[in-house]
Amino acid sequence: MVLEATMICIDNSEWMRNGDYAPTRFQAMADAVNLICGAKTQSNPENTVGVLTMAGKGVRVLVTPTSDLGKILSCMHGLDIGGEMNLTSGVQVAQLALKHRQNKHQRQRIVLFAGSPVAAEKKTLEAIGKKLRKYNVALDIVSFGEEDEGKQEKLDSLVNAVINNENSHIIHVPPGQAILSDVLISSSIFTGDGEGGSGFAAAAAAGAAAAALDAHGGFEFGVDPNLDPELALALRVSMEEERSRQEAAAKRAAEEAEKNQTEGGESSSQGGDIAMTDTSSAPPVLVADKGPDFMDEDTALLEQALKMSMAEAAGAASTQGAGDVPVGEGMSEDLVMALQMSMHEAAGAGGSTTTPADTDISRVLGDQSFVSSVLASLPGVDANDPSVREVLASLQEEEKRKNDSKGKDTEKQG
Amino acid sequence: MAAGLAARHQVDLVECIEWVGVECLNEKSDRTYTNILKQGYREDNGLMLESDTDEQLLMYIPFNQVVKLHSLIIRAPAEEGPKTIRLFANRQNMGFGNVGDFPPSDVLTLTPEHLQGKPVLLKYVKFQNVRSLTIFVEDNQSGSEETKIQKLAIIGSTVETTNMSEFKKVGHS
Repeated sequence: MVLEATMICIDNSEWMRNGDYAPTRFQAMADAVNLICGAKTQSNPENTVGVLTMAGKGVRVLVTPTSDLGKILSCMHGLDIGGEMNLTSGVQVAQLALKHRQNKHQRQRIVLFAGSPVAAEKKTLEAIGKKLRKYNVALDIVSFGEEDEGKQEKLDSLVNAVINNENSHIIHVPPGQAILSDVLISSSIFTGDGEGGSGFAAAAAAGAAAAALDAHGGFEFGVDPNLDPELALALRVSMEEERSRQEAAAKRAAEEAEKNQTEGGESSSQGGDIAMTDTSSAPPVLVADKGPDFMDEDTALLEQALKMSMAEAAGAASTQGAGDVPVGEGMSEDLVMALQMSMHEAAGAGGSTTTPADTDISRVLGDQSFVSSVLASLPGVDANDPSVREVLASLQEEEKRKNDSKGKDTEKQG
Repeated sequence: MAAGLAARHQVDLVECIEWVGVECLNEKSDRTYTNILKQGYREDNGLMLESDTDEQLLMYIPFNQVVKLHSLIIRAPAEEGPKTIRLFANRQNMGFGNVGDFPPSDVLTLTPEHLQGKPVLLKYVKFQNVRSLTIFVEDNQSGSEETKIQKLAIIGSTVETTNMSEFKKVGHS
């Protein structure tokens, strides 16, 4: 809540016709000026803002410091662009305008927009800066557009001559990067003076962010939640449902992938000459009969198998011997022994455990009475429907074939 | 004799200063005019007004009623204390640029005794109808870049007029 009188020096020289800031430099600057005027007049009701132009036929004061925002904004319309910017006299006229402010309690500030090259010498600018400082005037500079002839250096030295307790700021806005006013709103010109910025600046920043979002297809569902909360809620709920559905699907897919992997692991471990015939050929029904703790055990086994297959699938397959481990020469014999033992164990465990895991689904499907009871319990499904029966039959056949081929495999190895 | 007679009726005019309008140019932002003008602060020698970019200072002090000025009491360090002071009565909006454009109401050259707190007498006749006083400190005792002042008291008398700031609405109850 700084009580302040501000003079805004705008650049209306020919350089401002350039289109490197959308839509033109001049329009971009006009937007930024509107923003600053709003921020200044709203941060304190007694703040005043004035505007002057630095180019054209000499420096012209459009509005002397006033708190009437309408007056300030309307003066920006229909401005002529032309001539060269006269920065030095612009700043000095602004200082004079500030000196004659009504309320002496107001601090003085000049905001300068410079979009064209700076003709003045660095020394002159420093002298002006010192003078401003002597008159207790703060200076903010927005430098954009032309960058040649050491403009940045000159303006920096001007601000450095004025600066007193961090009261003056300069920002350089390169073209094409962003909208000029968007850059300004997050800059120290708005948030500066160590008071955390005005509420207006914060609100305007939020508004700008929302507007930017909107421009990019913004609100979550293309609907402003403030305008139609019920629709937004409905959309959100359906969005969440869909998301959870997708998550479940993804989980299922991952599980299936795991299963495939364990199958692969199993086949590779079968490739090793470890005796496992009796376990792998054990009838699945036996395991299924184990009852309630079946599921828990199954997941635990699955996990173990997965781990093993990840670590050892390659190793076991590649080492056709009794779990030889590729070991570096420097390894101690004990370590080699330990590794080999663990390999054996893992392979053994994998052989015995993966089988039930692998055949889980097919086993369940193979149990015809269970499947038909499940189907019967589903609404709208007739277990006696011929097409359903056909599918079930085909499933069973497939299962049988699989078991047969597995049996053959093991027989071959045995 | 005349001055002595007048001095009897002179009071400190600190009550008459229109604080909202006081302004001091080229002051350091943390060593401001309040340190030398306000009651209490001005008695503390540690609290000073200091110049910022160079040795000059320009103070504008409006009063809430018409006053007559008699003298100033200034206390300042011997080295950095002000030396040449120009006073202007009833001149508003003065800047460093135009102090030479108007004839000053009075020019004071301060001696080290004055800086100890000895009253500096003004041209009494020039300050008979004062609404505001502008004090321009041109240079200091040592010629350095920094001017410091510890206390500034304005001594004078009020002219019998209505003090508009005490003019209040009276209720009927």
